[in-house]
Amino acid sequence: MDQAERELFARSVQAAMVSADVDAALADLGWRDALAGDARAAVSTLFDLQGRANAVSAALDDVLLDALGLDVEAAVVLPQLGSWHPASTGVATRALATRTNAVVIAERDDKYVAVVIPATGITTTPISGVDPALGLLHTELTGESCAMAHDSPVSSGLVVDWESVAAAGQRALAHELLGAARTMLHLAREHALERVQFGKPIAQFQAVRHRLADTFVLLEAADALLGTAWDDGRPETARMAKGLAGRAARQAARHCQQVLAGIGFTTEHPFHTHLKRVLVLDQLLGAGRTLTRELGRRVVEQRELPPPVPL
Amino acid sequence: MELAEFRAGLDAWLDEHADGLAPPSRETTLVEDMAHLAVVKRHTFDAGWMRWGWPERVGGLGGSPLLRAYLGEALTLRGLVEPGIYSMAEVLVPTMLDFAPAALAAEMVPLLLRGDETWCQGFSEPGTGSNLASLSCRAVRDGDGWRVTGQKVWTSLAQFAQRCVLLARTGTPESAHRGITALFVDMDTPGITVRPIGAMHGAEEFCEVFFDGVLVPGERTLGQEGQGWAVAMDLLPYERSTALWHRAAFLQRRLADLVAVAAPDSLDPDDVGAATELLYAFRARSRATQYRLAGGDRLGPETSVDKVLLATAEQAIFDLALDGVAAGIVGGDDTTSSKWRSQYLYSRAATIYGGTAEIQRNIIARRVLDLGAEA
Repeated sequence: MDQAERELFARSVQAAMVSADVDAALADLGWRDALAGDARAAVSTLFDLQGRANAVSAALDDVLLDALGLDVEAAVVLPQLGSWHPASTGVATRALATRTNAVVIAERDDKYVAVVIPATGITTTPISGVDPALGLLHTELTGESCAMAHDSPVSSGLVVDWESVAAAGQRALAHELLGAARTMLHLAREHALERVQFGKPIAQFQAVRHRLADTFVLLEAADALLGTAWDDGRPETARMAKGLAGRAARQAARHCQQVLAGIGFTTEHPFHTHLKRVLVLDQLLGAGRTLTRELGRRVVEQRELPPPVPL
Repeated sequence: MELAEFRAGLDAWLDEHADGLAPPSRETTLVEDMAHLAVVKRHTFDAGWMRWGWPERVGGLGGSPLLRAYLGEALTLRGLVEPGIYSMAEVLVPTMLDFAPAALAAEMVPLLLRGDETWCQGFSEPGTGSNLASLSCRAVRDGDGWRVTGQKVWTSLAQFAQRCVLLARTGTPESAHRGITALFVDMDTPGITVRPIGAMHGAEEFCEVFFDGVLVPGERTLGQEGQGWAVAMDLLPYERSTALWHRAAFLQRRLADLVAVAAPDSLDPDDVGAATELLYAFRARSRATQYRLAGGDRLGPETSVDKVLLATAEQAIFDLALDGVAAGIVGGDDTTSSKWRSQYLYSRAATIYGGTAEIQRNIIARRVLDLGAEA
């Protein structure tokens, strides 16, 4: 996409994010064509705006399907909260309730295979949790589906490079986390400029200013690393970017909550919806702290850093 | 010359000339480091590499600033230069390009690039740190020139320097940022006294500089009289661009060294992961800044983000060093341990020099987040 196309796409997505049926609106504006045509522009734009708007869509499933190379109407079963390693139980977005098929990632002979089964083959339980608006589902395979997913030979499933597929999801989620965090920073900044104490806006107090500056630096840092993840395309860099984005968004939540103080603790202010969204997004496809620790373990064990991005 | 071609050519040249460019011994003092820096600059200038990325009117060969960024990175990654003393040109030459009379820039800049000379930057004063507009070192008219009286401090490498880019007050004491003028001063002018200051990392890297009626010719004025503030504002973002990319290369090398030699079980994986992510994020940010500079963007207050990231990454990495090579830092007297110790101690200054961590946050709050003036 060139600059003008990108701006047009962003305007359409922005409108879609506040429409009654987000998925229908995204389908109308041709989100999946955009994804197929220019994944970086489409994903970075859409997930950033989705995070900013606290919106919910099935776009993550589309990103994973695209990375899997599957042209089917399906929801993709994700690993359990906190992990990016597929297991027999997992979570799914609400797309599983509306799409005909489900893609299950199963481990077989040290390889991952993607198996497409009817969505009805999966037993689901709604996850209310901290962010019910996200509509996540806990998933478990029924007996027959379990056999399909796990017992048939490798040849019947599509052997996939799960690390790379997960990386596509991790980049998308990192954009969404940073989008949500940008909104938190925006809300905290507005509040700091409006809220008057001791005869002046609290934005004039250095303690408040430095929290907001720190938040900005963290988000810029995570955003820059995410850019590298797109540039080098390495799954490990995507995990680093998701790790830093998750941790940065949680830290942003802490700073912004403190600046928003009492009003940010109430349901009369939108802050809490972003805080809660960040907590869940951080857990999808690998929690920030876990990804960071895994990176640290690899570096310590191998006594070697990942390759740095060249100038 | 494109970056890819430059990179390939330079890498091959550095391989070929590795012996002639290597530091003479592993035991190096600042004096030896400075002497070796001059050798490396001379070789790389004569072979042309040092001239790329600078305009032809100051002895350069033209081309993108990315070429300079890569040269400093390559020299640093190979351990041929210490980035702190190498990168001074990145801060001072852009100032000369923008403000020095053309003949002066053409005469002087090659001397710095070729390693014939060292320059220093006379900004801070005992009573004037980040509050630059309050500086009091005075320059008064004397015939066609200026007579300078006052004191500077934290002047890096002044004891080695042949020239100084100096900020002096030419207006009234109340004129604040409007009454400052930038001068290009020969350090061997009578009336200049340099006193190196001992620093806790073991190198006398910065100095006090005293000016006692020092005569500076009028043609050594950088920009117009009263334009010193503009010179300083123009220069400061350069402190946070290419020089920081070179520093990122240094941190990359030292973190790689650390994880290779750390004592078993001495490094916490959480800390290693966090420091690695931070370093790679800083590198990504600084890389983007290099491309903005190369694209002709005017750098501004957003470069304070780069500086905060450098300081945070540098301290995180050397905090890890204090875990991984603790015995060496605390009790080792061999060369390798001395290097770790000196660099660990120097890393404590990363949140202080070039505008403290607090000043960088003030800049971001005021000029990037637009939070208005402070109380």
